[in-house]
Amino acid sequence: MPRTTKRSGGPDSQADAIEDLYAWGVTDGLPVVPPTLRRVEKAIAASGGAADDLIALVPPNYGRATVEKIAVNAVMAGCRPEYMPVVIAGVEAMCEEAFDLHGVSATTNFSSPLFIINGPVRKALDVNCGTGVFGPGWRANATIGRALRLIAVNLGGARPGVISMSTMGHPGRYTYCIGENEEENPWEPLHVEHGFAPSDSTVAAFAGDAPQGVYDHRSRTAEDLLTTIARSLEVIWHHKATALGDTVIVLSPEHARTIAGDGWSKAEIQRFLWERLRKPVKDLLPGKDGGEGLPEHVVARFPNPERNETLIPKFRAPEHLKILVAGGTAGRFSAVIPGWTFPNGSNLVIKTIHIRA
Amino acid sequence: MHDGVFFEDQGLPTATVISSEFVKAARAQAEALGAREYQTVVVPHPIQPLLREEVRVLADKVWDEILARLTTR
Amino acid sequence: MPRDDRYLDPTDSVAVPRKTAQRPASLDGKVVTLLDISKAKGDHLLDRIEELLRERAKPKAILRRRKPTFARPAPDDLRQQILRESDVVVEALAD
Repeated sequence: MPRTTKRSGGPDSQADAIEDLYAWGVTDGLPVVPPTLRRVEKAIAASGGAADDLIALVPPNYGRATVEKIAVNAVMAGCRPEYMPVVIAGVEAMCEEAFDLHGVSATTNFSSPLFIINGPVRKALDVNCGTGVFGPGWRANATIGRALRLIAVNLGGARPGVISMSTMGHPGRYTYCIGENEEENPWEPLHVEHGFAPSDSTVAAFAGDAPQGVYDHRSRTAEDLLTTIARSLEVIWHHKATALGDTVIVLSPEHARTIAGDGWSKAEIQRFLWERLRKPVKDLLPGKDGGEGLPEHVVARFPNPERNETLIPKFRAPEHLKILVAGGTAGRFSAVIPGWTFPNGSNLVIKTIHIRA
Repeated sequence: MHDGVFFEDQGLPTATVISSEFVKAARAQAEALGAREYQTVVVPHPIQPLLREEVRVLADKVWDEILARLTTR
Repeated sequence: MPRDDRYLDPTDSVAVPRKTAQRPASLDGKVVTLLDISKAKGDHLLDRIEELLRERAKPKAILRRRKPTFARPAPDDLRQQILRESDVVVEALAD
């Protein structure tokens, strides 16, 4: 290896473009690929649609996500042209009413859209579903998630500190995209559970905080392991939060095998966790063990709240606990991802990816 | 902000009360929706930890501003 | 933001100019809707505003309405109802 690189004589046009686009205010702070006409045209050609096809209006500003605008942002994020159908399906998912991108983009909470890819497209595009699934190193995960984030900002208006008022944000606001490890999943994968065919490719949008680790190396039964997971879920938002909705639980392959090995179905897991995560009214009162707790109008429904044993569930229904399998085959770790789940808040939305024939 | 901008556009005078931390966000949102002139009524942040009586005092403080926002007075 | 002709624009500005409503001279004889966005404590503020309206103005009526959630714009049917039944609106409390 030479000790110094050879210097070129002319201006460094790529570096200039990176500065110009940052100054324009359309990046996430990392360098972007300059969206030249040639690059954008290639992305449009790979999308299966026409440049001015309108895919969605992106809340809260309702910018028009045409195929061309999506392509510009996808190019900037570093997507290969063949990722376009996934990005388009992701736009459809996050812009659907049930997802409430308006609230997710404006809130002071942590939340950011997490995109979960299922089906054959994972292999075709080399989407990481295994080791380090939430981490760096795979172009599809890194750039598809980033493209969707740029779209939420550039077309939706979710600019941090302007319309996006998240107090903390989280690192997933750069990019947040995983594939489900269907090959290591003893149950039906997420999209099949929600009525899609195993041969369908889909992308799910979920408004999530950062993943929180659950460490359990020693449980050998489903009940022991799920008890550890329940105790970890108990403290999401805070230890007395109730009425929560969609929340994601990402089981590692080793954890999934332990649970499935005892013959448990996904529905049984959901039911078990939901039941374990109920607390009596007397333990949920504000001012006792912390100032947080049940809202006043809820407390008012119960006689003698200080002694009331009525059980209040942390989650509105067992089905709100969305169970996936992802991550590497070595390691007894799972992750829980709190959602943005006020009643009428954000729900998980799944859309089909239409791959161009 | 979407509701207030909608009501004003439809001819209904609207006073939207927000806390001071959200002035910039409200302005950006109104502008993005085409309502550059939209004015809000601002109370000091934070609200969530306040007691009922403390919130009521804020209402007294902004009463004149609400009236000015809704009428030609 | 400076535009640059060498690159395609990743943003979209769709805003059509919106109107501002004509104001009445006073609230005398007007129907005032107090719209609670369903964020905690907003009801306390609106309770006091309702009292002040009764003490210091002469509205024809005061209507209390509530959005199902602060997390979204009001649903269309609620917006239309408010348009039909009111002369002015006070919306609270976004924080």
